[in-house]
Amino acid sequence: MTDNALELHGVDMHYGYVRALDGIDIAVRQGEVLGLLGDNGAGKSTLLKVMSGAHQPTNGEIRVHGAEKTFGSPADATHAGIQMVYQDLALVDAQDIATNLSLGREILRKGLLGWLGFVDHKAQRRRSTEEMEKLGVRTAAMTRPVEMLSGGQRQVVALARGATRVFNDERNGILLLDEPTAALGYEQTQQVQALVRRLADQGVACVLVTHNLPLAMAVCDRITVLNRGRKVADIPAAETENDHLVGWITGARPSMFASEEAA
Amino acid sequence: MTVTIATPRTASAEKDKDPALIRWLIFVRDRGIFVLWAVLLIAFSIWASPYFASIDNGILIANAAALTAIFAAGIAVGIICGALDLSIPGTAALASCVCGWLITHGTPTGLAILAALALGGVVGMINGLIALRGFNPIIVTIGTLSVMSGAAAGIAGGYTISGLDSLVFMGTDRFAGLPAPVWITAALFAVLTVFLTRTRDGIRMMAVGGNAEAVRRSGIHADRYKVLGFVISGFCAALGGIVTTALVTEANPAANVSIIFNALTAVALAGVSLAGGRGSLPRVLVGALILGTISNALTIKGVSPYWATATTGLLLLGSLAVEKWVSTSVSRRLVQNASASVHTGTR
Repeated sequence: MTDNALELHGVDMHYGYVRALDGIDIAVRQGEVLGLLGDNGAGKSTLLKVMSGAHQPTNGEIRVHGAEKTFGSPADATHAGIQMVYQDLALVDAQDIATNLSLGREILRKGLLGWLGFVDHKAQRRRSTEEMEKLGVRTAAMTRPVEMLSGGQRQVVALARGATRVFNDERNGILLLDEPTAALGYEQTQQVQALVRRLADQGVACVLVTHNLPLAMAVCDRITVLNRGRKVADIPAAETENDHLVGWITGARPSMFASEEAA
Repeated sequence: MTVTIATPRTASAEKDKDPALIRWLIFVRDRGIFVLWAVLLIAFSIWASPYFASIDNGILIANAAALTAIFAAGIAVGIICGALDLSIPGTAALASCVCGWLITHGTPTGLAILAALALGGVVGMINGLIALRGFNPIIVTIGTLSVMSGAAAGIAGGYTISGLDSLVFMGTDRFAGLPAPVWITAALFAVLTVFLTRTRDGIRMMAVGGNAEAVRRSGIHADRYKVLGFVISGFCAALGGIVTTALVTEANPAANVSIIFNALTAVALAGVSLAGGRGSLPRVLVGALILGTISNALTIKGVSPYWATATTGLLLLGSLAVEKWVSTSVSRRLVQNASASVHTGTR
């Protein structure tokens, strides 16, 4: 129980009369990749927003490393060690890779210049290079503006930004990934997949929202399926298969938890 | 569960270098305006010889470009930070009248100048705080433009405030051979350039202009930096207003809207994207200098000044075309060798 990095108990989310999430229990352990599947409108994005602090659930509790937390804003979640990689990447196009990776945790120069707020560009580039190397990815020169990167490289930068911040905490944190491969080609998808796997092996808890079933099967340890705001499946990836997942996603296959619901 | 990974390709040696063509295109985009200015200087030196290529004429051009440059700095900082500040002429007129009024009512000149500059910052802050409420900054600043030109006329009583001789040290006086406005412009651009490229707040401000949401998600209060952009823009406007006043030693309450168009031309010539987040102040300065250079050379050759305006317009359109061409070619090239420059290490 205590090695659960992130736990949600009985999370409800109502928009007016619409129940976007209905009594969701979910947990992800350190070093585990949890796949979150479901059709459009099943509640995946809403759940991810609850985890990242963008939305406050109507009911339910959130625990990070066993301690109950209330997230008033994404900043609270960040503070608790949760990082989100957004589908739109949220990169500053005109700035270079090092600046993007350092935004919000800039290295200032020493002495008077530092007091005046001068940034140590060299140290930031060095740190960014080290961090990318630690992640085992190589994109382009750290001085390259993000707008001059290909889609796959941008995705890697966005992932690295989330990942490096997760590592920076004393304890390995939680990385939320929203459709990280939606805009990528086959080869780049493979690379992102490898990177996610490597992060998990280094002890990061990853939650991966995706439509890409082969990706989910390849990279996830455990898969949770949502259907119309309810959890209908939660199963180790090794114990399930494509057809079953499709069945749960479309609602053709009965929920694993049907009996509990009836009770 | 295992994941198969393609073996990393060799090519890491060239990871710090872009292909030569791309480097050349980036050079055109980033430094093209300097080349353009150099070409213009050489061409005019031959065409308008012997009067154009002299130190005195150079100083004349710099002095004529100084005012445009100061206002252009204000516009540019606003745009880089994500908002076009149209209230600049109003802020300039108000600052100029407040400064003049204070001086004629016995305030020491230095204090009057500081008060007017501070007023410019406050006006910027008000603009920013209103714009943060979700109103379109263009409309907001048009509103404050009217409010401030009205207020300026109210303070001045509808007439110009004349006899402000104590301001000449910022206007027609020369220091080490250069007119005061040239020094002021140089100092302003030096400080703002260093601020935007070297300091944490400046870099964050540019980032806010580029993608405010990304900055917010990094846990930074993006709104503060938006307001800061307006404050700097208001400060530049006030400074420009005071320098204008100092040049003619009288404060005119009429907001001169045409300064926006001159300044915007310089800013656009410098390739500062209206979408925000990018742009460089040295280029803006050169943009203002190019405008001054063209009108100076045409004046020397006795060509009517409206041809200078027409020429600038054509240059502007030409620069847009070049910029478009450069950015499309760069992105096309990058897509071509994108697969060759993404690498994954082994696990």
